[in-house]
Amino acid sequence: MAEELQVELRQHTGKWNNRRLRRAGKVPAILYGHGKDNIPLAVAADRLAAVLRHGSRLVSLSGAVNESAFIRELQWDTYGLEVLHVDFARIAMHEKLRVNVAIELRGEAPGVREGGVLNQLVHEVEIECPAGSIPEKLSLNVNNLKLDESLTVADLELPQGARCLEPPETILVQCVLPVEVPEEEVAAAEAGPAEPEVISAKKQKEEEEEEQ
Amino acid sequence: MAMMPKRVKFRKSQRGRIRGEAARGNRVVFGDFGLQATQGGWISAATIEAGRIAAQQYLRSEGRLYVRIFPHKPITSIPLETRMGKGKGEPEYWAAVVKPGTVLYEISGVSEEAARLCFARLAHKMPIKVRFLRRRPA
Repeated sequence: MAEELQVELRQHTGKWNNRRLRRAGKVPAILYGHGKDNIPLAVAADRLAAVLRHGSRLVSLSGAVNESAFIRELQWDTYGLEVLHVDFARIAMHEKLRVNVAIELRGEAPGVREGGVLNQLVHEVEIECPAGSIPEKLSLNVNNLKLDESLTVADLELPQGARCLEPPETILVQCVLPVEVPEEEVAAAEAGPAEPEVISAKKQKEEEEEEQ
Repeated sequence: MAMMPKRVKFRKSQRGRIRGEAARGNRVVFGDFGLQATQGGWISAATIEAGRIAAQQYLRSEGRLYVRIFPHKPITSIPLETRMGKGKGEPEYWAAVVKPGTVLYEISGVSEEAARLCFARLAHKMPIKVRFLRRRPA
């Protein structure tokens, strides 16, 4: 379900104007797509944060423009606290989109009770689905995952009309025994050289000559 | 075992300056939770290892710990009571140059409470201020 987002037209563009906008509690945004003109917009930061917190990817923009849009890209600050810029892409509800969706593990794997560790190798996958049915996240049931077994993309439950773009044999999560380094190896590593090898120009030449 | 490069082009490096914030390596990639630096600084290989051991002892065989930084920079020092001059000192240890915002460690396979407790123990070992970080939404 698309959430409503009030937007206003951004009259002045550029770094300094955008910084002023952010100080005023707004986030600069852009609307593009479908061969129409790009429209620079501004959206209230708290309202946008609420939309993102709810996990919405689709928004219906109102105010300066009245269109449905998809949140295509978010620019975050270094600490991942504030959104610096939003890209809105125009969409039609029947249109198929390519989106990255997070994978959420559900349940308790029997392999963990046998001393194994759940190792999630992939945290999000790219899927193609109609704009109206973009899932917030894909849940993966690990209730039948035993020790030394794995779940692949083929085990994912996708919403109707959706298609995963990753190869079906891609391993998403596996249950393995924790790797413990033998003490002998640790001792051998500790007894290694105190200084790394220096790659000198002479040495490189010699090596090249040897190869020839 | 403290980390250090296997091969280097030069034995010694100049000090340099830590300018700006981390534009890369500032988000959780491998795990579910991360420990992010809010200050810049040099983190020695011994400190990285101390942090790893502190976290690993808390985690035991649960979950998985990822170390996101590597000590690439040789730090030199001159012996005590040495007269001025006679050139640059000998490499003493290796350090990772950390900009504010860099993710230092990550954890996966544990609950948020466990990850917070683990990182709290680890944070005591760090010479800089750090904060707990969650994975960003897709």
